[in-house]
Amino acid sequence: MSRHHFKQVAVVLLIFSFASVVQARGDDFNSVVKMIEQFYGVKHEGVPFLARAGMKAGRTAARIKGGTARQIAEAGSIKLAVFEDQDFNGEFLKFRSTLNAALSETWLPFVQVLGANEQNYIFTRENNDKYNVLFISIEEREATVIQVTLSPKNFARLLKDPEGTGKAIAEEATINDQE
Amino acid sequence: MKSLFHTFPRTPLLVALLVVLPAITARAQDPRIQLTHLDHLATRASETVDLNFDERLILAAAKIFNDKDEDEAQIKKLITGLKGVYVKSFEFENDGQYTAADVEAIRAQLRGPGWTRLVNVTSKKEGTVEVYLLMNGDQIGGLAVLAAEDRELTVVNIVGPVDLERLAKLEGQFGVPDLGIEAPKTKKNDDK
Repeated sequence: MSRHHFKQVAVVLLIFSFASVVQARGDDFNSVVKMIEQFYGVKHEGVPFLARAGMKAGRTAARIKGGTARQIAEAGSIKLAVFEDQDFNGEFLKFRSTLNAALSETWLPFVQVLGANEQNYIFTRENNDKYNVLFISIEEREATVIQVTLSPKNFARLLKDPEGTGKAIAEEATINDQE
Repeated sequence: MKSLFHTFPRTPLLVALLVVLPAITARAQDPRIQLTHLDHLATRASETVDLNFDERLILAAAKIFNDKDEDEAQIKKLITGLKGVYVKSFEFENDGQYTAADVEAIRAQLRGPGWTRLVNVTSKKEGTVEVYLLMNGDQIGGLAVLAAEDRELTVVNIVGPVDLERLAKLEGQFGVPDLGIEAPKTKKNDDK
């Protein structure tokens, strides 16, 4: 192989390896959504549908486009999947271990709260000078998956008060304009 | 190799001991308590909380907490040098949902070398609260709190140089429950 060809191959490999890293990091949100769908046999609803229907995610659609009402999450950083009116019956311990195994390479499990009919998970990871946070909430008949990017200041808020800040972010992501 | 074992019948045992003993010792002195055996209690609990504030999050917190903010500066001081804060807590609707064996499996780890139970630590909470320190020479390597009530079981494990004064200040921060630990006392008891 000539030096020129070697350089070309190296550049192509570099581009592909970078793309695959970006894809792996970016795909975790979708992987979690799919995992919930497969584990519980449910289907999530897209944000545009919810927005049209005037349901929970009405304001989120605007925020995803960089709306002005954001308070905590960085503009345009919210990814949201909502599952409504479906049954979430299954072994939650099995789900938790599947989830932890799937995310353990790139995310840190921060807080996990399991109740009789509710599961809440917060995972975090550093993303350059900001922080990605993944919230997963599963109840008897509904579930929400939210991924946001937080500034260091707001990430500090989350670390100091995971419950309060977590709720605030979830409310910000799912609040209904019509409520 | 076969001839070696034949000539020195004790060699395999010796080799095994040489390999296994350091691993056992290292594990026994590990300030991180293994709590996965408690996971089954989640199916009986009305609420289970798992908090993992590991070294990467501690480093992130130390980096982003603002020294000019009095509250954040104090927390930063508290967590500096720590390697991890881990909490596992179960709340039950009824009595008798966890067994003595569940608790004993934790205590067994805390009987390992280096761990010392502080017997004169008290708590405002009901039930028993046991506090253990891991000493590496004259340095504190970790701390564990085991709080067992009729309907609640909580284990707090702090890895790194932490004392009771620091623990008391960490209560209520980062999801560390308020255990009502009273003022630190220095008297120790080694025969647990």
